[in-house]
Amino acid sequence: MSDEISKVIVGYKDIIDNVLTALMSRGNVLLEGVPGIGKTMLVRTLGEVLDLRFRRVQFTADLMPADIVGTNMISQDEAGNRTFRFERGPVFTHLLLADEINRATPKTQSALLEAMEEHSVTVAGTQYVLDEPFFVLATQNPIEMEGTYPLPQAELDKFIFKLDVPFPGLDDLDEIIVRTTYEEMPPVDVVAKGEDILELRKLVRQVPIAPHVEDYAARTILATSPVSEFATDMVKRYVRAGSSPRGLQGLILAGKVKALLDGRYAVSCDDIDEMAHATLRHRVQRNLEAEAEEISPDAIVSDILEKTPQTAEAA
Amino acid sequence: MGAKKNGRFEARFTALREEMEKVIVGCRDVIEELMTCLFSGGNALIESPPGLGKTLIVKTLSEALDLHFSRIQFTPDLMPADIVGTNVIMQDDMGKRYFEFQHGPVFTHILLADEINRATPKTQSALLEAMQEHAVTVGGVRYELEEPFIVVATENHLETEGTYSLPEAQIDRFFFNSRLRSPGLEELREIGRRTTTTFSYTVKEQLNREEVEEMKREARGVEVESDVRRYASRIVLATHPTHETATDTVRRFVRYGSSPRGTQALTIGGKVRALLDGRKSVSPEDMRSVAKPSLRHRLILNFEGEAENIDPDDIIDEVIKQTPESGA
Repeated sequence: MSDEISKVIVGYKDIIDNVLTALMSRGNVLLEGVPGIGKTMLVRTLGEVLDLRFRRVQFTADLMPADIVGTNMISQDEAGNRTFRFERGPVFTHLLLADEINRATPKTQSALLEAMEEHSVTVAGTQYVLDEPFFVLATQNPIEMEGTYPLPQAELDKFIFKLDVPFPGLDDLDEIIVRTTYEEMPPVDVVAKGEDILELRKLVRQVPIAPHVEDYAARTILATSPVSEFATDMVKRYVRAGSSPRGLQGLILAGKVKALLDGRYAVSCDDIDEMAHATLRHRVQRNLEAEAEEISPDAIVSDILEKTPQTAEAA
Repeated sequence: MGAKKNGRFEARFTALREEMEKVIVGCRDVIEELMTCLFSGGNALIESPPGLGKTLIVKTLSEALDLHFSRIQFTPDLMPADIVGTNVIMQDDMGKRYFEFQHGPVFTHILLADEINRATPKTQSALLEAMQEHAVTVGGVRYELEEPFIVVATENHLETEGTYSLPEAQIDRFFFNSRLRSPGLEELREIGRRTTTTFSYTVKEQLNREEVEEMKREARGVEVESDVRRYASRIVLATHPTHETATDTVRRFVRYGSSPRGTQALTIGGKVRALLDGRKSVSPEDMRSVAKPSLRHRLILNFEGEAENIDPDDIIDEVIKQTPESGA
C-alpha cells in the first residue's frame, strides 16, 4: 500500500507509513506543514489506493458546523406534505481532509472532532452513523498565527498522531517537477478495499503485548508528566502537563501495527520507541520556559525515551 | 512534436497578443503572463489599483478566444451559492415540485473574480476549490466545469479596510501573480485617444476552444533537462531563510520561502516561454523570465521585511543573481 502511494507522492516515506499506521489503529492524524507540499494529494491518493470516498473541507473563520455535518432542509413530497429532509454534509465520506483546521471557530472545530471521535453525527436529535472506515486527516500550517484559533489541548489529544511534514529537499523537489509538469499522473492501483481496512483494524487489536512492554509504555506516558515519580529532569523543568491515557492507547495500538508491518506477532519496546514522537509530541504541553528557550516537544520526547529504562528492574 | 509545430504555437500566441494589443494599451507583461498562465493551465492573481483595465484585459482575452466569460464582483455579502449556483424549487405542469440546479457564474471558461479580498473567507474558499478541482459540488452532486477553465482574480491593496486578505495557503494556489503598473505619459495619451474618440474596434476571434486545449497539451510536452529542472528547485530552495543556499536578503527579510508549487510554475511557465522562442526544451533563461510572477506571491516576509517595505521582486532578483545555473 505504501509503495503504491509512493508512485504519486514524492518522498515522505515515514509520513505515509505513519498515516497508514493511524488508519489501521482507527486513529486520526494531524499534519503540520507549510502550504503546497502535497497534503491534499496524499489523502486523495490514499482514497484511490483504498477505493474509498474522499472529501476535502477548507476550514475558514466563517465555516459553520452545518457546513461540515449537514443540515435539515424543508422539502415537499408528492402529496404536498412538507417534511424535513436531512442534507448530508461533507463529513459523510470515508476519508476527510480538514484543511487548515485552526482557521475555523472553536464550535466548528468541535463539530468535526465530535464526528471524528464518535463516528456519527447528531443533527436535530437524530443520530446519523458514518460509514466505516472513517478517517480524518486534519492539517494546520505553522504560518500566519494571526486570525487562527489554535486547537485546545483536549481536542489535540483526540488525534492519535501529530506529524510534522518537513519541506522537501532538492532531490524530492526535482522529482515533484518530473511528476507534475508533464502529462498525467501515474494511475495507482487499488490495493485494498474498505473491508480490508476493517479486517486489519481487528487484526491489529489482536496482536499480543507482553506485560513488560505494556509496563514500559505506561512508564513512558507517566514520564511526560512533571508531577510523576518517573518524570525526567527535562520534563520537570519544561513541561506544564503530560500526556493523557489516550497517549498510551496511541502508543500501544501504533506499536501493534508496527509489529505487524515487521512481520512480528508481538509488540517490542522498540516499536513503542519508534512511535513515541508522533504519538506524544502534541500531548506534551510545554511551559513558558520551554517556549522561551525554544525547546521543542520532540527534544523532550527524545529525552524521555533516553532516560526511561526498558525494564522496570533497572528503574 | 517537430519544430514546425512549435513555430505554430508561437505564431498563434503572437497573433493572440497582437489582437489584444489592438484594444489594450501597454501592459505587455501582464498580457503575456496571463496568456502563459492560460496555456499552462494555471490561474492568475493580478494586483492592481482600480481603473487600470483589468476587466478589459480579461474580457478582450475571452473575445479573442471565443471563450465564455463571467465576471463576479466580490463583496462582503457575496455567498458561496452566488458563485457556484444553487438548487431552486421548480414546479412542473402537473404541479409537482422538484429541485433544479441553477448554474452559477463559475460555469464559464474565463472567470474574473474582481476584488477577491472583499468577500468572506468561506466564499473565497468556494471559488478556490472550484479553481483547484475544476468542478463544484452542490447538494451532494458534483458538476464538472468545461475546459479550459481559468480564474483571474484581482486584489486591491489600496482600500484595505473591511477586506479579508487571502491566507498564504490560498494565495499559493495561484499559478502566477502579475502586477499591473500605472501607465506612463505616452500610454495615457493613447488610452485617451482610444476611449474618448469615435475609435472602436471589434476583437476578432483568433483561437477556438480546441486550439487552446491543444496548445495546453503542447506546452506540457516540452522537455526539461535535468540540470535546468534542478535549477528551478535550487531557486526555490534559495528563497528559504533556513536553507544553506539562502541569500542574505532572504535570511534577513523572509519568514517563509516558496512552496513546491513555485517550482511547478517556474517549470511549466518556462515551457511556454521555450515554445514561444521556437525551442523544444526549457532554458534557464526561460525560467528566469517567469521567476517574478511565479514567486513574488509565494515569499512571505517577516516583520522586518514588512516594516521596511521590502519588495519581493528585489529579493527574487538577488536570488536569481546568486543561484548557479548548474551544480549539485
